[in-house]
Amino acid sequence: MTNLTYVSVRKTFGPTVALEGLDLDVKPGELISLLGPSGCGKTTALRIAAGFEFADSGAVLVSNADITRTPAHKRNMGMVFQSYSLFPNLTVANNVGFGLRTRKMASTERHHRVAEMLELVQLTHLADRYPHQISGGQAQRVALARALAVQPQVLLLDEPLSALDAKVRATLRDEIRRIQTELGITTLFVTHDQEEALAISDRIGVMSNGRLEQLGTPRDVYRHPASAFVARFVGSMNELPATVTGTRAVDVGGHSVVVDRITQHDGASVRLLVRPEDMRVVADGGLPGTVTTCTFQGSATVLGVRLDRLDVLTSVHVAGVADFNPGARVEVSIDGERAVCESLS
Amino acid sequence: MTELVITDVIADGGRTTGAPPRARRDRAWLGLLPFFAFLILFLFIPAISVFRNATNTEAGGFSFSAMREAFTGQNLEAFKFSVKFSAGAAAIGVLFGTLLAYAAATATRPRWLRNLVTAFSGVAANMGGLPLAFAFLSLLGRQGVGTKILNWMGWELYAGDFDLGNVTGLIVVYSYFNIPLMLLITLPAIDGLKQSWREACANLGGTSWTYWRRVGLPVLAPSLLGGFLLLFANSFAAYATARILTDNSKIVPLRIAFFLGGDVSIGEDAVGFSLAAWMIIIMVVCMSLYWMARKRAERWQS
Amino acid sequence: MDPNFQNPVELLPIDPEIGGQPTAPTGLAPPSTGRPRRRFGRLIPNLVLMISAIFFLAPLLTLARFSLQNVPTILLGWDTLFKKWSLNGLTKAFDDPAFWPALRLSLQLAVGTVALTLGLLLPTAIWTHLRVPKARSLIEFMTVLPYMIPAIALVAGIKIIQPHARWFLNSDLSLIPFYVILALPFTYRSLDAGLKAIDLRVLVDASRSLGAGWGSTVLRVIIPNLRTAIISASFLTAAVVIGEFTIADTLLKETLPRFQATFTSREPQGGYGLNLLALLVTIGLFITLSVLTKKRDPKRKSFARMAADAASMPGNPGS
Repeated sequence: MTNLTYVSVRKTFGPTVALEGLDLDVKPGELISLLGPSGCGKTTALRIAAGFEFADSGAVLVSNADITRTPAHKRNMGMVFQSYSLFPNLTVANNVGFGLRTRKMASTERHHRVAEMLELVQLTHLADRYPHQISGGQAQRVALARALAVQPQVLLLDEPLSALDAKVRATLRDEIRRIQTELGITTLFVTHDQEEALAISDRIGVMSNGRLEQLGTPRDVYRHPASAFVARFVGSMNELPATVTGTRAVDVGGHSVVVDRITQHDGASVRLLVRPEDMRVVADGGLPGTVTTCTFQGSATVLGVRLDRLDVLTSVHVAGVADFNPGARVEVSIDGERAVCESLS
Repeated sequence: MTELVITDVIADGGRTTGAPPRARRDRAWLGLLPFFAFLILFLFIPAISVFRNATNTEAGGFSFSAMREAFTGQNLEAFKFSVKFSAGAAAIGVLFGTLLAYAAATATRPRWLRNLVTAFSGVAANMGGLPLAFAFLSLLGRQGVGTKILNWMGWELYAGDFDLGNVTGLIVVYSYFNIPLMLLITLPAIDGLKQSWREACANLGGTSWTYWRRVGLPVLAPSLLGGFLLLFANSFAAYATARILTDNSKIVPLRIAFFLGGDVSIGEDAVGFSLAAWMIIIMVVCMSLYWMARKRAERWQS
Repeated sequence: MDPNFQNPVELLPIDPEIGGQPTAPTGLAPPSTGRPRRRFGRLIPNLVLMISAIFFLAPLLTLARFSLQNVPTILLGWDTLFKKWSLNGLTKAFDDPAFWPALRLSLQLAVGTVALTLGLLLPTAIWTHLRVPKARSLIEFMTVLPYMIPAIALVAGIKIIQPHARWFLNSDLSLIPFYVILALPFTYRSLDAGLKAIDLRVLVDASRSLGAGWGSTVLRVIIPNLRTAIISASFLTAAVVIGEFTIADTLLKETLPRFQATFTSREPQGGYGLNLLALLVTIGLFITLSVLTKKRDPKRKSFARMAADAASMPGNPGS
């Protein structure tokens, strides 16, 4: 049972700080996604685990063995790159068997393992094709088979789905998760797509500017974002100007809203971040506003509502089918239980 | 203007697709007539004449005897010399050209270095003929500055066999355009070596050596082979530089020129043309192989 | 947990120094780069670059020295190194009566070749793209043929025809069509690539639907968009024509390179000076070309690629 641990890992590239003291422990068999925008340090963290970059300070441990300074080819990790990582001069089968040849596995055993892997990703029929003869989605599956063939202790995936079509992305994503659970392999998955992260992770690490902003289950990260950044990055947020009126309340356009976590002092002007599904259309007693758009999305309808006193465009979820004409007058209530208060500076 | 388009369509027999109808397509080939005529007149006719004269006997009949004779005695020596020399020049060009390309491709600082090398290669690869010959005469000729410096350092360049017109000398001179040419051809291939391959290989347990042996060199192989063929053909066919540097007709192009010079008896000039004919055959084989190698290389470069 | 999941540690011989023993988490490891000795890898490439620089610059420097300094090599030493430099050598050629006609002929040939090339190939390329797409591979093949018939072989063939076409081959300008042939692989591919990059069909249809006739379309739509291809094809062709020696020499036409050869044997320093000038002009042409064709469109050929194609033209270099 392998876990992957980062202990205060710090990395700079010249004047830029890519990672500021990262502490992270990926438990055995767990899939953690590192989620964040470009430049947040997630890829750097992954490459440090793989051995393509070396930490300036701190340590990387695999099952408590210190591998911080082990060269890349001596670590036993499987890595799937973003794209074009298959060796073009080798067939699919030979690509998958590459790591086995490096480890001097006997050829019969090797063929057996390669066949096993190809079956795992359901690409046995492509064994003799060359990389330029298969599609992008198939190539990534071959890359996965190749990485897993050597039975690595840890699986590292660097945005493996970003270069693929939307449709292929969804199926491949689920397949990766399926295989990962089946094999029980400790996995670190880097992505900038929050939907992906939410769908397949055991835990998500949201990163920004080299720092881990929050580490938690998808549910936690979504429903209890630890900071405004996380709140915005995962899912969508409405942003309402408000004033703090107490330790647990803010005033939004004249209405008092109970909010759990307020760090700002009394009277401070803040931005209240509220999820669309935490805002509801009510018969009365809410903030008045005008409907600008009404978009039917199947299981819910999303209304664009311009709130009068605040002149802010918000997104309001209404369950099921709802019919509002643009221009209609509505009143909106806010449930602040999971809202986040952000300072205005 | 819509009218014009519609009329066109109607005249096409009511088709609305982009392809013109059969009759119009066939007639369209006529538009290529000037081009084909030009090629026939100025390329095919001279080329075919070479082969015709190579297989003519004095009596006006057809015979391969001249072609065979072109491959014997002094002529054979010339062919052997040319092939040996061209292969040597090509090998040197491939070796250093690739090294240089690798050095330029992986140079990160200063940032203008790569562009400078490429630009200079573009100029050097096209340099040839007279200025190159004279430049090298001024460097390594008997009165050359380089020769003098080497003498001063203790190396008597002209003590032995060395001459700019000999194999070694010509190889050195030809390298001046062979190396840059190889660089220009190989640079895109080296760029095409993706970093992710290198990393994937390391990740799977391979060392630098493993990478080059199992991925890097195999992927580069078509380019390297193609480069060799191109440099070989280039060196084999080069004329002007050699003409300045050496008087005797040791290499095939010079020998052909000698025969064309007019100081030969009537029967002998068929040999001259046979030499030219053989040369064309060699070039055809060489360039066809080069073409195939290049196609293969391009496939892996995307 | 997969029962087949062996302990991977056994598969890979682990360096006994590192990672073999479980160690307690070290907390803050001492700051270190921990980088493998990658710096060492730059030594050889840099060395190669430096040696190459010397090799490629030396002949040019000595050529310049010979042309511009009137000190014979035997007498050359530290004390004479800075004596007797002048621009005399460069201009000696200008005083020779045979120079100007030779220069003029070469320039005429250059202009003529470029003109005939464009005049023949532009319509052909455009016509092929628009009307006879099936011919494209055939034409591409034909433009490769001159690769296979080197200049010296071509001129052998010309000499055979000479008696039959004296009226034509007597003129010095008769070199032009043959130079067009020599340049064919490069120039056609340049124009062809340019056409491919601009999506000719769409532009032509748009132009014609807006009312332009064929002449207008070609002049105002197609050619401006082919500007880079045309410029690079022209410049490189001109550079090659001005330097072409093989055919001119065999057919005894008094072009500039021929003059260079004979003049140098008469007047070494002047000859070298002329060669230096020719070299500088060629370099100048290339620099101008690369400035004019700064890489804007990723689909277009880079300067390096164009230069490589030009260099592999039959009869170039060393021609």
